[in-house]
Amino acid sequence: MTTSTAFNRHGENSFVATFAETEKEVLINLTEQLIEILAERVDDAYRDPLAAMVGITGHDSPPDDEVLLRLLPNAYADPIESAEFRRYTESGLREKKRVHAMSVRTHLLNETSEQISLDADSAQAWLGALNDIRLALGVRLRVEENSHEQLELLAPDDPMRGVYAVYTWLGWLQESLILSLMDDEQD
Amino acid sequence: MVKTEEKVEELTNPNFFIDRPWITIVWDDPVNLMTYVTYVLMSLFGYSKERAHELMLQIHNEGKAVVSSGRREEMERDVQRLHEKGLWATLQRDDQ
Repeated sequence: MTTSTAFNRHGENSFVATFAETEKEVLINLTEQLIEILAERVDDAYRDPLAAMVGITGHDSPPDDEVLLRLLPNAYADPIESAEFRRYTESGLREKKRVHAMSVRTHLLNETSEQISLDADSAQAWLGALNDIRLALGVRLRVEENSHEQLELLAPDDPMRGVYAVYTWLGWLQESLILSLMDDEQD
Repeated sequence: MVKTEEKVEELTNPNFFIDRPWITIVWDDPVNLMTYVTYVLMSLFGYSKERAHELMLQIHNEGKAVVSSGRREEMERDVQRLHEKGLWATLQRDDQ
C-alpha cells in the first residue's frame, strides 16, 4: 500500500508531496548513486592550483561511461571545440548537478514525516535532480522513442522491470512538480 | 574616438567579416518529459508558454530546434544552462 501523492502547489511558494517510507528510501538511494557517479569524474590527475582557481579541469575528453556522457554532454559536434569547452565548463556543470542531488538527499533524510514541502529554490534543485536521475535510468534501460511498449512487457523476474517501475514513478513525480511550478508562470 | 586597441580587436574578430551568428540547438531526447522541455525553455529564455510549446514540438517532431542565436560566448552560456537542466544541446555557427 502506498500513501504517496504527487506534488501540489500550496499557496504562493510551497510545493507539497507525500512519500511512502520505501519511496523515500528508493529516492535517497538514487541520489546517492548519482552523487557517486558524478564523483567518478572529479580530477585527480590535474592539480595545477591556478587552473583550479579559474575553474579549469584536466578533463577534455568525453566520459567513457554512457550515463556520465548523458549528464555531461558534448557542447559541439566538433571534438576539438568540444574538448576545449569541456575543459573550462565540466567541473562547474558537475558541481551544479552534485549540489542538486545533495539537496534532495538531505531533504529526504531530514524529513521525518511523509510530507515533503519545497520552496521555490528547493523545487528547482528537486526538478534538476529528478531529471538527472531519470536521464541516468533512461540510459541504463536503453529508453528510446518507442521502447515504452517493450519495457511495459518485461518479464516479472527481469531485474530491469523494477528499474522501469521506478523510472515511470519518477516521471510521474517530476511531471506533477513541473505542472505545479507552471501554475503561476502564466494563465 | 575609438582606441586603436579596440579597432584592432574589431578587425581581427572573424565576425567582423563573416556576419553569421551562432545558434544553440536542442536535440530530441527520449527521456526528457515534453512538459519539462517546455518549462525549461520558458524559464531559461523567457519564452511564452505558447512559443516554448511550439519549440518543444519542433524538437520532438523534427529531432531538433534552434532555441537561441547570437554571439558565440552567449551561445556557450546558453548551452551550459541547458546542460545544467539536462537538455541535450549543442552550439554551432549558423551556416544553413
